[in-house]
Amino acid sequence: MATFTRPEPASVSVEALCKEFQGKAALADVHLAIEPGTFVVLLGPSGSGKTTMLRCVAGIERPTSGTIEINRECVSGPKTFHPPERRGVAMVFQDYALWPHLSVRKNIAFPLANSQRSKVERRERVAGLLERVGITHLADRYPNELSGGEQQRVALARALAADVGLILFDEPLSNLDADRREQLRIEIATLTREAGATAIYITHDQSEAFALADKVGVLNRGSLVQFDTPENVYRRPRNCFVTRFTGVSGEFNVATVHARDSEYVEVSLPFAPNQRVRARTNNCFDPAKELKLFVRATGVTLSAPSRGDGMGGEVLDVAFNGRGYEHVVTLGDGATLTKIFSTRRYERESNVKVSFESSECFVMDAREEEV
Amino acid sequence: MWVVLSLLIIVPVMCFLILAVSPRLFSQGPQWLTFTYIRQALEGYTLKGILNSLWVASLVAVLSVVCATALAWLVQRTNIGARRFWTVTMWLLLLMPTWIMAQGWTDLLQPYGAAHALGLNLSWLYGEFFGPFGIVLVLTSTALPFAFFIIAAGLQGLGPEFEDAARIHGAGRVQTMKTVLPIVAPALLGALAISFAETISDFGVADTLGYHAHFPLATYTLVSAISNFPANFPVAAVIAAVLILATVPPIALQSVAMRKNKAYAVLSGRTRAPRRRQLSTGSRIAATAGVGFVVFVALGVPIIGAVVGSFVQNLGDAGATNVHFTLTYYKQILHPSLVDNGLGSPLLLSNQLGLIVATATGVLAVILARRMAASRGGWSQRITDIFLLGSIAIPGVVLGVGYIFFYDQGFITNHVVDIYKTLPLLMLGLIASAVPGQTRFMAGPVSQIQSSLSEAARVHGAGRWRSWRTTNLPLMSRVLVWGWLLTFAKTISELAISEILYPPSQEPASVTIQSYLTNFQIGTGTAMTVLTMLEMFGVIVVALGIYRLVTPAGWRRVGWSVVD
Repeated sequence: MATFTRPEPASVSVEALCKEFQGKAALADVHLAIEPGTFVVLLGPSGSGKTTMLRCVAGIERPTSGTIEINRECVSGPKTFHPPERRGVAMVFQDYALWPHLSVRKNIAFPLANSQRSKVERRERVAGLLERVGITHLADRYPNELSGGEQQRVALARALAADVGLILFDEPLSNLDADRREQLRIEIATLTREAGATAIYITHDQSEAFALADKVGVLNRGSLVQFDTPENVYRRPRNCFVTRFTGVSGEFNVATVHARDSEYVEVSLPFAPNQRVRARTNNCFDPAKELKLFVRATGVTLSAPSRGDGMGGEVLDVAFNGRGYEHVVTLGDGATLTKIFSTRRYERESNVKVSFESSECFVMDAREEEV
Repeated sequence: MWVVLSLLIIVPVMCFLILAVSPRLFSQGPQWLTFTYIRQALEGYTLKGILNSLWVASLVAVLSVVCATALAWLVQRTNIGARRFWTVTMWLLLLMPTWIMAQGWTDLLQPYGAAHALGLNLSWLYGEFFGPFGIVLVLTSTALPFAFFIIAAGLQGLGPEFEDAARIHGAGRVQTMKTVLPIVAPALLGALAISFAETISDFGVADTLGYHAHFPLATYTLVSAISNFPANFPVAAVIAAVLILATVPPIALQSVAMRKNKAYAVLSGRTRAPRRRQLSTGSRIAATAGVGFVVFVALGVPIIGAVVGSFVQNLGDAGATNVHFTLTYYKQILHPSLVDNGLGSPLLLSNQLGLIVATATGVLAVILARRMAASRGGWSQRITDIFLLGSIAIPGVVLGVGYIFFYDQGFITNHVVDIYKTLPLLMLGLIASAVPGQTRFMAGPVSQIQSSLSEAARVHGAGRWRSWRTTNLPLMSRVLVWGWLLTFAKTISELAISEILYPPSQEPASVTIQSYLTNFQIGTGTAMTVLTMLEMFGVIVVALGIYRLVTPAGWRRVGWSVVD
C-alpha cells in the first residue's frame, strides 16, 4: 500500500473576528488560539455564531473584520482573503454535501485530484480510507443509495483523504439517530486523532462536546464566552450561560449570603431559609448583585426522609433509564430539580431528603450573562 | 449584465412605447404629447383586433387549464397507460410553433386537401375551422403544454399526507377536496396566467389562420400598422402597450401564485411520492383512450395534415380535377432550380441562428438564474424577477417592432451601433425574446442545487472554475441541454421576430415557408414545413444521443428531468 505522509497539524489563530449579516452581528470580537493537534469543539445554541465562525475559518464566509491565521499564515485579514481551496483545510458538512452525480469512490477521491500522487497511489489511498471507515462494499454506489450514517462515513473519508492539517466539522452528527451518533462520534474522534490533524468541531450538544474535545469553546450571541478544557468548562463555568448550557438540574434565587472564601460561598434559599447550601463561586461574584444558585444533576443526592441531613422535597416524577431512576423533585415554592439519578426508586408524591455536593453547585450573578 | 439586458430589451421597447403619446420625440409626428393615436388605435379594425385577442386569450386560458388539469391528474395521480409517453407528447407540443399547427389543420381541412386525398369528407368542418373555432382550437392545443407542466408540478408536490390528514380528522370527500384544493390553486392560477400570456402574444396563428379567416388579432394588426404604407409606428406602439398591459396582471398573478407554491413546496419538502389511484381495467382503458384522443387532436391531426398534405398533388387547388399522392414538392425542394428559391439556404441560416441564439441565451440564462438563486430573497433577486416577468409579458412581435424602430434611429446608427437590417440585429432580437423565458425555466432547477456542494468542492481544493465544472455543471446538465434544445427549436421555427427583422436576401426558413404559403404554393410550403420539422427533431434526437454518449452515468442520474 502506498505510504502517505502524515500532515503537520495546523495551528489556528483568530483575532478580533467580527462578521455581520445585513447589519446584524453574527460574530463579535472573537479571539481564539488553537494549538496544533488539538481537537477543539465549539459549543453553543442555534444562532450563537458557531457555524459562521467555522465558515470564516474555511473561507466560505468573508469576515467583516479581524484576522485568521492558519499555521501562522494570514488567510483572512484587512488586506488578505485566501479562498477555501488555498487554506489547506478539509470539512465535513452538516448536510454531508456529497456530490450526487459521483460514486462514493469518486467523492472520496475528489480532494486528491490536485495532489502530486500517481493514479495508483490515489486509488490505494481511497481504498484504504474506504476500508478504514467500513464502506468498501459501497464504493460504487451513489450517495442517494446510502443511509444517513453511510453518507456521513463517506463525508468523513473525503475529509480525511485531503491529507490536510486542519479538519472542520459542521455539526456532522445532527442528522443521525442516537445509536449511529454515538458510533460515528467514536469513529470521528479516533480517525481524526489518528490522522494527526487539528480539528474544529461545532455542535449544540454538550455531551458530544465533552466526549470529543481536548478544548471546548462556548459561544453565545456571537461571543466566545469560555475556552477551556471540558473539565474546567463543566466544573468552573464562567457565567450563568455556560453553567446552564452545560447542564443543570435546577436554578434558584439566593435569599441570603452567609459566608464566603476565595472559592466557596454559603447561601440560603427563600423556600428554606434555615438550610445552608455551600457552592462554588466565580471571581466575578458580588454579594450585592442578584444571585442565583445553579445545581448540576450529578451534585444532588436523594435519600429517605428519615435518613441524613438535607432539604425536604417531594417526588413529582420518576423514570426508569436502564441503569437506575431519574427523578423530578419539588423543594417547595415551585422550585424543582430534574434528572436526579438514584439506583433506588422513590415513588411519585413520596417525601425525600435532598442534599447537595458543594463542588457541583455554583452561585453566580444572575445578570452577568446580559452584561 | 444590466447594461446588456437594457440594450437588449428595456431601452428598445420603452423607446417604442413612448411613441404612442410622444411621436415627436423620435420624429414620427408633429406632437410632443398627444392622445390621437390612442383614439385611433381604439377604434375600427385595430379595436376589433384587440377585443378579439382579449376574449380569445381568456377562453383559451380557461379551456387549456381545464384540459391540462384533467390530463395532469390522470398522468400524475392514476395508473393510466403509457404515462411517460403522454409527458413526452406534451414536450413535442411545446416545441411545435403555432403557425405549423395552423398550417397542418389547414392542409387537412381545405378543399382538395389531405382529408380529401385520404377519402374523408370533412368539408362540414372547413367553414367552422376558418374562424374563431379553429383559432381557439389551435391556440388551446399550443397553450396546453404550458398549463400541463405547471399543474403537473403542483400535483407532484401534493403528497398523500394532506389528503390522509384531512380524512383521518373526519373530513368527507368534499371537505377533503376543499382542504386540499388551495394547495394546488397557485399552480392552477399560474397555468391560467401563462396560457393567457402565451395566447395573447401569439403571432403565428394571427398571421396565418386569423388572416385567412378575416378574424383580426392584435398582434397581426400591430404588424399591419408598420407594414402598410406609410408605416404608423405610434398606433403600433399603442397596440403594443395594450398587449403588454393585458399581459402584466396575469403574469404578476402567476408570480404571486408561484411564490405561494414555493412556500407549499418547502412545507412538503419531505412529502412522499404521490399515491396513484388504481383505476379499474375499464376505467384505465377509457382514460387512456381519452388522453390519446386529446393528444391526437392537439398534436396528431396537425402533423398528419401537414405530412399527408405535403404528398398531395395540387394541394388546396380548387380547380384541380385530379387529386393524388406525389413526391413533386420534395423533388422541387431538393432541386432548388425548379422553384424560385430552395429551402437549403434558409434552413441552414435558421440552424445557424438556432445554434448561436440557443448558446448565447443558455449562457445568459445560467448567469441570471445563478444570480437569482444566489441572492435569495434579496433586492437583486426581486429586481431580476420583476424584470424577467415583465420581459415575458412582452410579445415577440412587440420586441421585433421595437427593434426595427429603435435600431433605425439616427443617434443609434451614427453613434452607438449600426446593425439595422443585418443578421446580428435579428440574432439580438431572438436572444432578447428567449432570455426571460429561458432564465425562468432554469431558475427552479438552479436554485435547488445546495450551495454546500460547491462549498465542499472549494474547501477540498477545487478552484472556482473546477468547483463549478465538477459540481454544478453535472447537476444542471440536463436542464441546460433541454433549455438549449428548447431555444434551438423555437428559434428555427420562430416567425414573429424573423418576419419583422430578417435582412434582405437572408430569409430564415420560417419566413421562406410563409412566403410560399401566401403565394399559393401551398404544397411546396407544406413540404418545406415537414422537412424543417424533421430536421429540427433530428437535431434534438442527435443532441440527446450525444449527451447520452459523452456524459458520465452520474450526470444523468441527478437533477431536473423531462419526465419526472
